[in-house]
This record gives sequence, C-alpha cells and structure tokens, in this order.
Amino acid sequence: MRLALTLAAREMRGGLSGFRVLILCLTLGVAAIAAVGSLRAAIEAGLSDQGAVILGGDAEVSFTYRRAEREELDWITSKADKVSEVLTFRSLAVVGQDQALTQVKAVDQAWPLLGTVGLDQGTLEQAFAPVDGIPGALMEKLLADRLGLSVGDRFKMGAQEFRLGALMLSEPDSAMAGVGLAPKTVVRSSDLGQSGLLAPGSMYESHYRMVTGRDLDATRAEAETRFAAKGLDWTDRRNAARGVERFVERLGSFLVLVGLAGLAVGGVGVASAVRAWMERRVATIATLKVLGAESGLVARVYLIQILGIVALGTLLGLILGAGALRVVLPFLTAQLPFPVTIGLYPRPLLEAGFYGLVTGMLFALWPLAQALRQGAAALYRGAGRLWPGAGWLAVQTVLLVALVGGAVWFSGNWMLTLGTLGGVAAVLAVLWASGWALARLARRLARSRMVNGRPGLRLALAAVGGPRSEAMSVVLSLGLGLSVLAVVGQIDENFRLAIARDLPTRAPSFFFIDIQPDQTEAFIAKMTGNPAVTKVESAAMLRGAVVAINGAKPTQDHWVLRGDRGISLADAMPEGTDIAEGAWWPEGLTGAAQVSFGAEEAREIGLKLGDRLTLNILGRDIEVTVTSLRNVDFSNAGMGFVMVVNKAALAGAPYTSIATVYAGAEAEAALLRDTARTWPNITAISVKEAIAKVVEALTAVATATVAAAGAVLIVGLVVLIGAVASGVPARVREASILKVLGATRGAILASFALRAAIMGLAAGLVAVGAGAAGGWAVMRLVMDLPFVFEPVSAVLVVSGGVVVTLLAGLAFAAVPISARPAGVLRTVEG
Amino acid sequence: MDVLELDGVRLTLDGNAGPVEILRGIDLRVKEGESLALIGPSGSGKSSLLMLMAGLEKATGGRVAALGQDLGAMNEDALARFRRGRMGVVFQSFHLIPTMTALENVAVPLEIAGVTDAARLAAEELDAVGLGARKGHYPSQMSGGEQQRVALARASAGRPKLLLADEPTGNLDQANGASIMDLLFGLRDRHGATLIMVTHAPELAERCDRVVRMADGRLAPGDLA
Repeated sequence: MRLALTLAAREMRGGLSGFRVLILCLTLGVAAIAAVGSLRAAIEAGLSDQGAVILGGDAEVSFTYRRAEREELDWITSKADKVSEVLTFRSLAVVGQDQALTQVKAVDQAWPLLGTVGLDQGTLEQAFAPVDGIPGALMEKLLADRLGLSVGDRFKMGAQEFRLGALMLSEPDSAMAGVGLAPKTVVRSSDLGQSGLLAPGSMYESHYRMVTGRDLDATRAEAETRFAAKGLDWTDRRNAARGVERFVERLGSFLVLVGLAGLAVGGVGVASAVRAWMERRVATIATLKVLGAESGLVARVYLIQILGIVALGTLLGLILGAGALRVVLPFLTAQLPFPVTIGLYPRPLLEAGFYGLVTGMLFALWPLAQALRQGAAALYRGAGRLWPGAGWLAVQTVLLVALVGGAVWFSGNWMLTLGTLGGVAAVLAVLWASGWALARLARRLARSRMVNGRPGLRLALAAVGGPRSEAMSVVLSLGLGLSVLAVVGQIDENFRLAIARDLPTRAPSFFFIDIQPDQTEAFIAKMTGNPAVTKVESAAMLRGAVVAINGAKPTQDHWVLRGDRGISLADAMPEGTDIAEGAWWPEGLTGAAQVSFGAEEAREIGLKLGDRLTLNILGRDIEVTVTSLRNVDFSNAGMGFVMVVNKAALAGAPYTSIATVYAGAEAEAALLRDTARTWPNITAISVKEAIAKVVEALTAVATATVAAAGAVLIVGLVVLIGAVASGVPARVREASILKVLGATRGAILASFALRAAIMGLAAGLVAVGAGAAGGWAVMRLVMDLPFVFEPVSAVLVVSGGVVVTLLAGLAFAAVPISARPAGVLRTVEG
Repeated sequence: MDVLELDGVRLTLDGNAGPVEILRGIDLRVKEGESLALIGPSGSGKSSLLMLMAGLEKATGGRVAALGQDLGAMNEDALARFRRGRMGVVFQSFHLIPTMTALENVAVPLEIAGVTDAARLAAEELDAVGLGARKGHYPSQMSGGEQQRVALARASAGRPKLLLADEPTGNLDQANGASIMDLLFGLRDRHGATLIMVTHAPELAERCDRVVRMADGRLAPGDLA
C-alpha cells in the first residue's frame, strides 16, 4: 500500500487540471444537498426552540364549532398557570361597497401568552381600545391595503363596526391557522357580542392555550381519557406547527432527492472525467506493467487518486453548501413565515458527504475498472470498452445498495425515496437508450445517400454517431433537467387551461356559509328571485369526525377519516343525487339514524352497506348506518358531501346552511353587496378568488420545481461543458485534417455547430417526450383531467436544448478553428 | 514546367527559449511528374519544408509557389480551397478522422471539393489499395498499415497534381512499409502526380528521381536546384 501511495502521490504532482469538471460536478451536487439539508435542520431547530411561542403556549386544546364547556374549562384552568382563549373563523370585512374575506382571530385579554405582537404603531391595549364606542382591531397590511383602510378608519364584520387600531406586522402564535385562504384580522372576542358571527352552528374553532410546568404527556393522556368523546384536539409545544413541520420535512426530503438527481447527472461528468483521465494514463499504466507492477498495484495507485479527488470534491461541496447557507440565511430568515435557528448541523452535512462520496465512487469506479481490465495497447487504439471484472461489479453493487439504503434511511420516507430514485433511474435509462439510438441513427444517416455532397452534414453526423461521440454525455447531462422542465411545463399549461376553460362554466360564483336556519328560506327566495342568478343550491351542514367504524377505531389512513369533515343533513333526496348502491331513506324518517356515503370514498375505506359509523359532532357521539352509496362529483367546485345524514338524526344540533350561487360575472359584485347588507353574518367566499389562490399556490410549487430543475440543469451544464472541453483536442486534430483536405474555416465551424445542434435537438426532443408522458400521467391518472399536448413549452424546451449545446459547442470552437495544421499534425520534425 | 518554386524560403518559429530558425533560405524547383526525396537528420527542417509546400505553414521569408500560385499571398481559407483536387498529403501518423469509417475518410476530400459521386470514387480508391473489404471499419479497428493505406487512398482520391508524403512508412514495420511505398509509387504513376517525400530510409529515397539532402535548415551543398 505504501508503494501505491508513493506512486499515486507522484502521479498527482501533475495537478488537478484533468479533474476540474469532476470536482465541480461533485462540489455543486454536494453543496446543493448540504444547503437544503442544513436549511431543513435550521427550520426544524427553529420550530423546536420556538415551539411554545408559535403555538401560543406550552399546550393547546381546541374544539370545533363550540367553546369549552364549564367542566372542560375548569379542567384546563386547573392544569395551567395561565390560560388564553382564541376563536378563529372566516368573515367578510366590509368597507362601504367594498368587502374582502378575512380570517378572524378573536382573542381575550391574556393574548398573547408568549411572545409579542408586532404593530406598526402604539400598544396592543391602545389598538383594541374603543374610540367613540367603536372597538379596535388589528389587520394584516395586505388586507388593509386591499380595502384601502388606514389606521383609524372603520369597517364592519357581521353587524359589528370596528376601527382599525393598528396594522399587524407580525404575530407570535403563527402556527395556528397559518395557511388560510385570507389575510388576518384580530379582534377582542368580547367585542363580537353584537356581530352575530358566533351564532350557534357557525363555523368556528376555539383554542385554549396553556402555560404550564406540568408533564405534557401525562396532561395529554388525562385530557384524552377524560374528554375522548367530546372532540377535543390536543397540541403541544413539541409539535406546535405540525403542518409546517410536515411540509418542511416533505419539501426538504424532496429537494434533497432532487439534489441527488443532480448528483446523478454530475455522475455522468465524473465518469467522463475519469475515463478521459485514464485514457491519458495509458502510457504510464503500460510502463508500470512493463516494470513489473501487478494489476492489483496498478488498481490501488489509481483507486487512491480517484478516492482523493472524490473526497476533495465532496469536502468542497460541504464547505460551499454550509457556507453559502450561513451567508444567505440571515436574509432568508426575514422572508420565512416560521422561525429559523442558524447553526452548523452535522447530520445534513454527514448525509451530503455520504451522497457525494458514494455517488462519486459509483460513477468513477466503472471507467476505472474498464481501463484496468483493458490492455494498454487496446486502450491506445481506442478499442471498444470491456465490462469491468466480477470483483469490481460486486463493489459497484455494494455502492449502489449503500446509496439507495442510505437515501431511504436519511429521508425516513421509503416510498418518496424509492419513487423519486426510481423515477430518476427510469429517466436516466430512457436518456441512455435515446443517446444510444441517436448515435446509431446518426451513424446510419452519415452513410446514407441523403448526405452525399454535403460534407458538413456528413462530418456532423459522423461525429455524433462515431466512436468517442459526445452524444451520450450531452443527452444524459441536459436531458434530465430539461425533462423536469418539460413535465412542469406540460402540467402547468394543462392545469391553467383546465381552470380557464372548464371551471368558469361549471363552478359557482360564491359559496355562502353560516346561513342560520331562520335565514335559509329568505336567502334562497332572494337568490332565486334575482334574474342574474342562474342556479342556487343549498344544504344544511355541520362538522363532525368519524371516530369509529362498526364500533372500532378506524385504522385506515384516509382523508375522510382525518379530523372534522363537513356533514350534510337532508330529509328528501337532494336534486341531482346519483345513487350507486342501496336506497335513500324515506322522507320524514325518524328512529335509527342513516348515512348516505360517497361511493368512491367508501370503496377506498372499505365501507359497505349496513356498516355502522360513530360520528362525533360537537362533542356528542352519534351512531349512523350506511344505507346508500352515492357518486359524488368534486371536480366542479360545486356542493359535494361525502356524508349526508337524515335530518331527524341530528335534530337539536345547531347547524347552519351553506349555499352555492351561480351568477353571471357582471352581477357578482352587486350580489355580494346586497347579501352583505341584508345578512351581515353570512360570509361569502368568492370561488374565483379561491381558485386564484389555488393557482397562486400551484404557481409557487411550479416555480420551486423549476428552481430545483434549474439546479439539475446547472450541474448538467457543467457536465456538458466538461464533455465539450474534453473533446477539444480531438476537434483541433479534426479541424487540422479537414483544412489539409481543403475545408474552409467557415465550413468546419458550420459542421461543429451542426453537430452541437443535432445533439441539443435530440436532448430536447427526448425531454419533450418525457414531458408529454409525465404530463399525461399526472393529468389523466392523478387529476382525472383531459391532457392536451402544449406546443409552446415543448418548443421552448427543444430550442433551449439546442441553444445551450450550440453555445457550449461554439464557445470551444475557437481553438480548433484557429489551430495551425502544421503545428498540430507535425509528428516528427525532420 | 516547375510545379513548385521556392525562393529564399525562411521559417522561424517561436520556441520556449525564444525564436528558433527552422529554415534558413531554401531555393528549390520541382518539375511536373518528378519524384523527389527529402532526406537529412532529425531537426534538419524536412517536415517543415514539406508543410510550407503544402501551404500548411507560412514562410516567414522568401516565396513559395505551387502550380504557379504564390502560396504566401493566400489566406488560410484560400489555401484550403487551393489544395482541393491539387494536393494530397500523407502523414507518418496517418491522421485519419477517428469518427469516420474508412470509406468516409476517403470520401471527405471529394465531398469537400463538391464531387458528386464521392462515395463511388472513394470505394474505388479503397479497392485500389486493397481495402475493399474494410470500407465500413473505423480507424481504431484497423492496423497501422491499413490505416496508412486508407490515408494513401484519401490523398490520391482527388487525383492531385502534387502528392506530399511526410515519413509515410515511419510508423510501420518493414513489410508494411514496403507495401505502402509500392502503393505510393503506383498511385503516383497511375495519376501522373509529382511526388515529394520526406524519409529517413535511404532505400526509399533511392526509388525517387532526385534526392535532396537537408542539414540545419539548409539544402546540403550539391542539392541546390
């Protein structure tokens, strides 16, 4: 080993010039993974450190559609040093003729128990204090701007008038209802008495935050035992922002896997660099063998060098990733809606280092093993490559298993990991096959009559199809990034098209919520009497959770079984109901309660006619029997309930109605104004605005994915540049020979451009194919929407591929074009 | 008629240790149809002189004219166009295009010159050098002798008036070398070209009509023509 180290050290004296691409590929890939992983760790640490503040207390119990009852409140008070009650619901903030949906947070005097509220002026007391009998309120700037409100201006919510006391710049307890459809307004709950917004059956939630020194597990266990049947929901500081945590964890895992895809593309560059390097070492290998070195020694000499280079690239990546995040994080912290604790986190760096070393060696060992198996003379002639020996293959297999196993272990989500890695491997396999097919096709075309008399084209095709072609490197390096862009492009355009084309003709204009039972009849009469309204649907509803199926706690992980769901009440079968199985109950049914369940959801959960469900509604358990299954259409944003219960079963429960109103776009504003004036407690949700929010969110996800694809593309670009750069000596020689044979510089340049364009075109076309396949699968199989091939994004992807390869090719064309043939071709100075 | 006229030709190249005078005033005339061998020790300037004759190197002094045209007055592209169909060059290291098959390598100069049935002519040339069965093979799939035969076929495919060869057997064994020389002289006879060849081998030089000896960048006394 000492001899191998000595020889390796001597070889490395030549410097790292042949390894720039390899090091850059690994550095960028590892840096991306290290940065993403460290950011995730910083956010998780922030959430953990600030858990109590963002929750608003050490622990919280919450209820749906009701406040805590006396017994519950006594228990909460007995367990806490301090308690604060916060109610949340949606309402319309109205200013004259204008109104906007807002997420209302009604708080008590104790709020906030922890942390401070950021206001643009004054104190919290001053902001809430009544002026001329009008209570104060806080509003997020976005909403105040939307309504044209300045501090001191007045607005109404329900029947209650408020004064904008201050703009809320930050709220400490942001974990709760953080991601809503509307910006927030904060009022004192004592000021809502006259608003009519918290009438029985209204859709609101109550939260009781506790500051307590007690053992949280024990307190939680006690709460769940005592109030199990009352619909109590427990959260504590250790998992304060469950949604955020889950989102950060998922997104972090996804981005790390995207980084791994970037490393896989970088691996192509690693393999090319090692192959080129080994080819330059042919004479040395031959000499070592002539001098008596066994193949084991030769292998060790080169393995040591490769390992050193891979370790260097990985180390640089870790430094870059952690360092860049350290620089960027202070600026990023202000933009993120959750706390971040800046620090150096060893686990993500360990993870990135592991990926760098294993991926680097996985890709580097293959060409190394090939070169070592091949005789020096055969290598010198550029003869065909051999497969690595069995021992090397075994090592490669171990590395591959370690990589996949490590990825699963680090991400903690085997489905996401194997799905993403499988997808990347499949795309790489398709790209490899495409690169191979491109070379074959180019070879055939180069020999066809079609190119007779077109030497430039023949040269280009021969270069694409001949030995040492760059086609495979170009298609592999650019293809993956372009494929992701193409898939995003197709899905994005199709989704926008579906929303723009289909929804307006099918979706209602408004959802009206919190219609009290005594208002329902008048509301529907007014709507149907309005000539601009084309259709009105209404349903009585309340919310409840499925807590048992046939007497046992459900074990299935299905969205219908997670938390509270809307449950509709009906006596007669609503118009348009499509019964798939069973029969609707007779009108005026009393006695045993019945439920009509969504057919598809029932099939997914495993429910059948005759099954018994226990529903917890407002803390009360009610048993219902499934007597019919319905086909429910959720795609048109209209009214759709998975569960409809016969009305008598929930007699006495405080319910409200919701209504969907279909009207022409020109009549929407007047309709909204009129409703808000007549029934201030009824909240209207504009479907258009809600869809705009969804589109906004989808755009953000698409942008994030494009950014991730961008990272893969940058690594791909490095690989591409590396491949083109390593081909420069060959092109210098080729250009010189062509000049000897009578080709002008323009003709040679045109041929170089043509071959670059052919390879870029191929990479783009393969990506568009992948984009169409991916887009079709998502639209048809996942979204159940029609798929139309979108030519604009396809043209952009293809032309992007051509332009990038063309630029890379032409950037390196100057040297071959300007090379003097005599100097290049002179072999013996005579 | 002189197909090559060299008057007071000088060549100075920039080396690491400063300018190096490679050729120090060469005067030479070569007649149409003549075969001429350039011999001399390594470093005497033989290959550089051949490169100047082919227009692949620019003289730093004096005048080089080929087929009546002053090569010094032409730019790189004009020189490239001039070589088409007029000159064929054979190198010691063959310099075939590795991405092309034997047939494609031979067809390239014809295609560049705009010859319509380049593939047929290239196939004929390969048949003439005995490689009719290796048309679809890449250079890496052929031996050195075979590669040089392809290079010969490529050089003669355009029926050049001037055939320039730089140590054409330098990388070959004796048997292959002899075979290549037979082919080279056979091609020259067949097409009636003027042949100028750089060689170290006296027995090859003896096959030429005239032998010119070089030493230290000059023609040896008695070889001034």
